[in-house]
Amino acid sequence: MKKYLSVQEFADFRQRILSEKDVEYDKPTLVVCAGAGGQASGANDVIRVMKRYILERGLQERVAIKITGCHGFCEMNPFILVQPGRHLYPKLKIEDVSKVVDSAVNGYVLDGLVYKDPHDKKVYRNEDDIPFFKKQTRNIISRNEKIDPIRIVNYIEQGGYAAAEKVLANPDPNWIIAEIQKSGLRGRGGAGFPTGKKWEFARAAKSPDGQKYMICNADEGDPGAYMDRSLLEGNPHSILEGLLIAGVAIGATKGYIYVRSEYPLAIKHAIIALRQAREIGLLGKNILGTGIDFDIDIFRGAGAFVCGEETALIKSIEGYRGEPRQRPPYPIQKGLWGRPTCINNVETLANIPLIIINGAEEYAKIGIPGNTGTKIFSLVGKIKTTGLVEIPLGTKLSKVIYDIGGGPSGNAKIKAVQTGGPSGGCIPARMFDLSIDYESLAKAGSIMGSGGMIVMDDNTCIVDIAKYFMGFMKDESCGKCFTCRKGTQRMYEILEDITQGKATMEDLDLLEELALVVRDTSQCGLGQSAPNPVLSTLRYFRDEYVRHIKDKRCDAFVCKDLVGAPCQSACPLDTEAWRYVAHIARGEYDDAYRAIREANPFPSVCGRVCHHPCESRCKAGTTGGEPVAIRALKRFITDRTDPSVYKPLREVWTNGEPPRVAVIGAGPAGLTTAHYLSLKGFKVTIFEAEDEPGGMLYCAIPEYRLPHDVIRKEISALLDDNITLRCNTALGRDITVDGLMEEGYQAVLLALGAHKSKPLHLENEDVEGVYPSIEFLKSFNMRGGQMAKGRVGVIGGGNSAIDAARTALRQKDVDSVTILYRRTRDEMPAFAEEIEAAGQEGILIETLVSPTRVIAEGGRLVGLECIRNELGDVDSSGRRKPVPVSGSEYTVELDTLVVAIGEDSGIDAISPARMSGVETTKWNTVKVDRGSLQTNRPGVFAAGDVVSGPNTVVDAIAAGKRAAVMIDRYVRKVPLDQPAEVRLPKVFIEPPTVDETEERQLGRIETPRAPAEWRKRNFAEVEVTFSIDEATHEACRCLRCDLEYTRPKEEEEEEATTAVAAGGK
Amino acid sequence: MITLYINGLKVSVEEGTTLLEAAQFLGFPIPTLCHMEGLTPYGACRLCVVEIGEGDRTRLVSSCTYPAEEGLHVRTASVRVMRARRMVLELLLATCPQSKVIQDLASKFEIRQQRFRQEYDDCILCGLCVRMCEEQMVAKAIGFRGRGETRSIGTPFDVPSDVCRLCGGCIYVCPACTLRCTYTEPEKAICGGCANLAPPCLKKDSFDDMMCYMDPCVACEIKKD
Repeated sequence: MKKYLSVQEFADFRQRILSEKDVEYDKPTLVVCAGAGGQASGANDVIRVMKRYILERGLQERVAIKITGCHGFCEMNPFILVQPGRHLYPKLKIEDVSKVVDSAVNGYVLDGLVYKDPHDKKVYRNEDDIPFFKKQTRNIISRNEKIDPIRIVNYIEQGGYAAAEKVLANPDPNWIIAEIQKSGLRGRGGAGFPTGKKWEFARAAKSPDGQKYMICNADEGDPGAYMDRSLLEGNPHSILEGLLIAGVAIGATKGYIYVRSEYPLAIKHAIIALRQAREIGLLGKNILGTGIDFDIDIFRGAGAFVCGEETALIKSIEGYRGEPRQRPPYPIQKGLWGRPTCINNVETLANIPLIIINGAEEYAKIGIPGNTGTKIFSLVGKIKTTGLVEIPLGTKLSKVIYDIGGGPSGNAKIKAVQTGGPSGGCIPARMFDLSIDYESLAKAGSIMGSGGMIVMDDNTCIVDIAKYFMGFMKDESCGKCFTCRKGTQRMYEILEDITQGKATMEDLDLLEELALVVRDTSQCGLGQSAPNPVLSTLRYFRDEYVRHIKDKRCDAFVCKDLVGAPCQSACPLDTEAWRYVAHIARGEYDDAYRAIREANPFPSVCGRVCHHPCESRCKAGTTGGEPVAIRALKRFITDRTDPSVYKPLREVWTNGEPPRVAVIGAGPAGLTTAHYLSLKGFKVTIFEAEDEPGGMLYCAIPEYRLPHDVIRKEISALLDDNITLRCNTALGRDITVDGLMEEGYQAVLLALGAHKSKPLHLENEDVEGVYPSIEFLKSFNMRGGQMAKGRVGVIGGGNSAIDAARTALRQKDVDSVTILYRRTRDEMPAFAEEIEAAGQEGILIETLVSPTRVIAEGGRLVGLECIRNELGDVDSSGRRKPVPVSGSEYTVELDTLVVAIGEDSGIDAISPARMSGVETTKWNTVKVDRGSLQTNRPGVFAAGDVVSGPNTVVDAIAAGKRAAVMIDRYVRKVPLDQPAEVRLPKVFIEPPTVDETEERQLGRIETPRAPAEWRKRNFAEVEVTFSIDEATHEACRCLRCDLEYTRPKEEEEEEATTAVAAGGK
Repeated sequence: MITLYINGLKVSVEEGTTLLEAAQFLGFPIPTLCHMEGLTPYGACRLCVVEIGEGDRTRLVSSCTYPAEEGLHVRTASVRVMRARRMVLELLLATCPQSKVIQDLASKFEIRQQRFRQEYDDCILCGLCVRMCEEQMVAKAIGFRGRGETRSIGTPFDVPSDVCRLCGGCIYVCPACTLRCTYTEPEKAICGGCANLAPPCLKKDSFDDMMCYMDPCVACEIKKD
């Protein structure tokens, strides 16, 4: 390549290139990302296949290939972008490459392969329309897709080196520095120091021999951040141009690019770019005849995180250990080899040519005052679309996470985002309204950092995250400052203790105290910011720390030593699900029954209607497959085992007359308490307002899910000589708490349930034909009342809405049933299998509608006016808010309307309680101490829905169990606190030997159901129990998480030796 | 000459003077472990931190490395400084409990307990020996190795150094390994530090927790894992 000796010559050369290139693409072009991310995903294979295909078919004249750096859409690698149409073919398989080439040559779009939204399957033929790209402002990163990084001509075609030409034509530092200052550009490395100011200081600094240095800091080391890498790999000339301009501005004659050895592609491209720039005369002595000398060297760092700190970086280039030193003196005064040295980040330098070409004023229009321009973030973690995202500073966090990133990757809600890498902080989801700028992030306890954004959802444990970052810091601290070296290590120790359940609340205080001192006393930025992850998570997620320490629970199910077997840990009753599943696999059904019954007095009920939190945490499900059907297995056992195989341990009260306890409400909570107190020798009287015990089990759950005789059998097994049941006795009407106390009951448990449906708060709600769901279900379940007629509408999306709809469908005068829900089907809180079953039975589900008016004629319902909704911004529950579309009102004709938008314990249930002198909350529930379940009145306890509001069966049973323990303690006058303990699997059950050679189907067996056409006409049970084969198959799918804790040591070692021997063969 | 204010007192010093020198010139005591006259200031132990600046923009810096600046306001014993210093000492005691120098300092600052997992290291990595070897003995036989928690001092690859003259300068300057507690010889161990006629430390199986040099001894207060 010719070397140009004057600015004019170079300008002519540049003009020639630009004019030759009159159209952007003279023939269809296949653009492939072959940055580090692309290559890792197989872009090289795509390129190879593509080249061979083109050569074989002789298509060289009709199609062109462009191999570029990273485009930022890393999730979709490897992909081909067909220009000029901008058709994006993501995640390409090798066999599809030829089809894409053909489509490009012949000018059509392959709708089967072109980018589709992974969620709603919408097809995007033009890349620019994809939300990920559409909502960004891609000033810097967009150039990557147009440039082959090893071709300087390509860069010049895109307007490259025009800024260098402009600067060299008028090499007066003053205007350059003034321009940069006017632009408001701030350092993109993280601290945000104004670049123009830095250059001014560097310009003014005196050097003993006139030598100054310009360094590009490409030592990007944050876990999860790779924007500098992408720029250096994809557009190295822009960095050289930035360095050259900076060199001219500050009067440096020598520049360095300090890049880590882990970035081989970046180094390779930078070396090629340097050689080309030297050949053309843009670097070296007497550049373009201006008399300016400037050359650049590449210095490879060995990958120490601390070398990103400027003084450590300088030491590293000088050949010493990468250790920060005291500032002042700042590198600007005394830097590399003691000379003034200006250090800028890669992204900062990439901005420089843009400012020079387009002018500072144009640049300053982007962003917000004080924070101008764009910034590239690497968006990673639990987010739908990961990749590099460029946005103007001052953009809201929520826009990046929900609009560009597309929200959470799974079903879990987004909890927080860590900005700025390990030195940054965690920002909770409720603060996603925050503007992304240097000051706002700092105020929130985080930093901009180099721009990593790690998104976390509810399956991420905050303490574990803090521990991860602290582990990184303790390894990457240079170790010079005692407080940073030891402080990070000690903080890690404490965090480790917390995740293992060994820490105390004092340790938490010590952690915070230490974190503040480490921040205060460390010398460099690394040490001063190392405690940020701890301090910011303590600030926003202290509850989660306390939960680990006090309750010994990790709600994200991450901390292994607290979780044990997830199925057991997820169960409010602590049922050893792994244990009975293991017994089923071995055919030991009696043992399985005992394992279930030990924890749960209502096994048959729970085998049918439990919301099975165990399954949602099952490892077989969370690791990508389908969870074991634990609930169906429980039902399988209870259906075929005689309850008498379990003999509960009975205690006899020896200390005088047995104490008497009154339980008000014979629902699952009350019955559980009565049962466990009876086992301890108490005399219990249960008062029930209805004719029969069972509470919600009986009055709210339809018989096709839970037959009444199952409930009756289960309850009668619990009642014994110690328990007296008095039905038709209501609190407030027939008895009072004061009266019971006077009668000699030593303790009273309020387990009244929540029996009042929430109203819609619409006019005409009280006309005939409109029923609250509980009233509707109760009337049918208890008295066989057929309230539904003709066309039935059900408002709501929870389980009681589905129950009401399916019950209505089975009533005799009903023609059709429609469920109206305000959000989308994915957001319905009802169990997925219930929604599915309802659909099978012919129930229509209309989503995104809200009722606005009940239309009545002559005191009777005739219709309902609804309004359509669309999804708006994400609300505090992490779901998109339904927003009414004005003018979309429409009317449905209805004969019956069931309102099922949630229950309330209701004034009816509560007022007698309130009269008993028990404190209540604003949600109309009884206020209790969370640990002891005691109300403000000594001896009066409360449990179940009356405390929690409408809740699940297992939670009620769990509360009942706890109440029994606490009432026992109260009567014995033992303090009412029960320190939490970690329950890890203890019993070893040998796994059945499985024939590995046998071909087995691995999928989950769906619970069999009766045919929809038949079942919708009657109340027979819909679900059918497993056969023995099905149950064994399902139980054998268990991954046996318990073995990690229970397997005998020798066996483990033996297995390890066999594995080694097998590997050695 | 540069004029600055230390604990409110105006003082003029030559350019290049550190804050530690200036404070010592005025007689303000600042504890240090890694500083020694004749060796380059290093700033490793962080005990000598002082608070500089005024209003909201104050911060802690190591006085041994921070150069005096015109008009600077320095506080050598503010609440923030003392809180940091006490935590540094507690960390030191948790790391290297048998050094007399550290015990004395901890005593002086009334540290009565350390709340971390007890370690028994021999070295606090202050780097005095490394600088002694390089700057005064001109040998460069030892240096730092590794980073983070695996940082250590020694010769390259632990091979005995050819340039080491066994001068002992490194041991002479060490604040951690001189004057160790003689816990391995119980008969010599009664230090009288706690003025307790029946020191509980003697009854313990292990003498590891003894801090005979501390006044008073805090062995009884150290919590076990």
